[in-house]
Amino acid sequence: MSTVEIISSFGDDAQCANAIEELRAAKVGDFNTFAPFPSHRIEHAIGKKKSPVRWMVLGGGISGILTGLAITIGTTYEWRLNAGGKPLLSWPPFIVICFELMVLLGGISGFLGVLMMSGIPAIEIAPGYDGRFGEDRFGLVVRCEETEAERVESMLKESGAEEVVREGI
Amino acid sequence: MQTIAVAMIVIGAIAFVIALMRGAAAIAWQAYLVNLLFFLGVAQGALAASAGFYLTQAKWGGSTPYRLGEAFAPFLWVGFFLFFGLFFGRAEIFPWVTHPIPQKAAWLNTPFLFARDGIGLGVMAAASFAFVRVSRADDARAWATATDDIELPPHSIRVFAPVVGVLFAVVYTLIAFDLVMSLAPVWRSTLFGWYFFAGAFWSGLSAMALTAVVLRGRLGAHNVFTNPIVMHDVGKMVFAFSVFWIYLVFAQYIVIWYGDLPVETFFIVQRAHHMPWSPLSVACVVLIWLIPFTVLMSVRAKKTPMILGTVAGLGLVGMWLERYVLVVPSLSLDAIPFGPTQFLISIGFLGAFLISAVPGLNRVAQAATSGEPVGDDAE
Repeated sequence: MSTVEIISSFGDDAQCANAIEELRAAKVGDFNTFAPFPSHRIEHAIGKKKSPVRWMVLGGGISGILTGLAITIGTTYEWRLNAGGKPLLSWPPFIVICFELMVLLGGISGFLGVLMMSGIPAIEIAPGYDGRFGEDRFGLVVRCEETEAERVESMLKESGAEEVVREGI
Repeated sequence: MQTIAVAMIVIGAIAFVIALMRGAAAIAWQAYLVNLLFFLGVAQGALAASAGFYLTQAKWGGSTPYRLGEAFAPFLWVGFFLFFGLFFGRAEIFPWVTHPIPQKAAWLNTPFLFARDGIGLGVMAAASFAFVRVSRADDARAWATATDDIELPPHSIRVFAPVVGVLFAVVYTLIAFDLVMSLAPVWRSTLFGWYFFAGAFWSGLSAMALTAVVLRGRLGAHNVFTNPIVMHDVGKMVFAFSVFWIYLVFAQYIVIWYGDLPVETFFIVQRAHHMPWSPLSVACVVLIWLIPFTVLMSVRAKKTPMILGTVAGLGLVGMWLERYVLVVPSLSLDAIPFGPTQFLISIGFLGAFLISAVPGLNRVAQAATSGEPVGDDAE
């Protein structure tokens, strides 16, 4: 038995999402989607779990607060300066530093997390990719057994695929 | 509801008159001012939210959020007339009426204050009503419910919505300076006006959220508020502007703390470090920022009407308390004068607020059950 790759293109993200839902319901093959813009419909159809980037941002934010506390408390003890008779450790200005560092490190870890989780930069082009999938077409590439190819193709066509191409691997 | 509201107004008015006759005028006028500021702020803040929705071209709830923001508008005229009632209590609430401050006499004098604030509130109410009128027109509703285009709102909306937004900032800064800051006439904080109307705006949003939750249960199975995506958006507004409020609190606090000038610090010291007021100040921060921020952070909490309604309701209590803590310590530093008189006067104001909201709420119910499409706002 050999595996084939079926490349289909859609003009509309709702149709593409529909095809994905049918494929998932039928439990055939493994698929990969290309979209010219992020589509909530397709995201829903894929049934992706919530991205772990949120935890990276939280981690970055908390480490920002800790860095802020270390800097403010550390420098205050290093250089004991009496400013206007206020207590040595005065919290109001520390809050500002901690807040800014929380935003900075949280933002940076969010940025890096997005790059990491979305696989940027992509060194190898994913199989089945077509230039049009970056312009105005949604691509759905299904990898399945040759015996099931007929069924998958008809499913894709029924969902409204404009083009369905079979390629052997 | 109308009967109960009328009864509340009558009770409040009787309590007010009895207090004046008993010689407890100061207590009565304090409650009058606090409630005027709070309910006027809720009504105007919610209306400004409706104008803000147009400015950001919000279609996430169809036309219902607009009707919701405009529901309390009739109270603006009630508040406008009640404001002139302060003229008779001016000696009780404005310290500079009995002890004029020569350097500030050009600004803090009775005729000029009532003239400028009266004109401000009148223009604000008139502009708000003009805005409500164009907002309820058919073309505006058609725009809000058209989910598949990116057209701008109708021209008349594009004229009145920015006017309402700018007037809200200007007039409520003036109100904050004249009716709150002037009670401690030597104190000043440039940001105070902004802080005051941002709080009013948030109380408007909370009142809208609470109304949405209450109507959700009363309007049958298929109203807009049963849509979790719409409730999520309502919750986001409450969450976001609660953070904005604490930002403005801190922005003023740190400048005053750093400068450490007695003429500036006393206002905060009296409220945050002086008994019996400090627990109330802490309660304000907890109710307006800490609870909304921590509870509404999660998507599920925003989508759960019971949680959102509770947070918004507590927030409204917190905002009333905040107005109380801003006003009363300037007049009665060592004791909290809250008692039956002030409670009943507050009930009277609540009754006036509710009865003036009835026609608007009927419109909300109509829009929410009309089955119109709402914006395609997937999570």
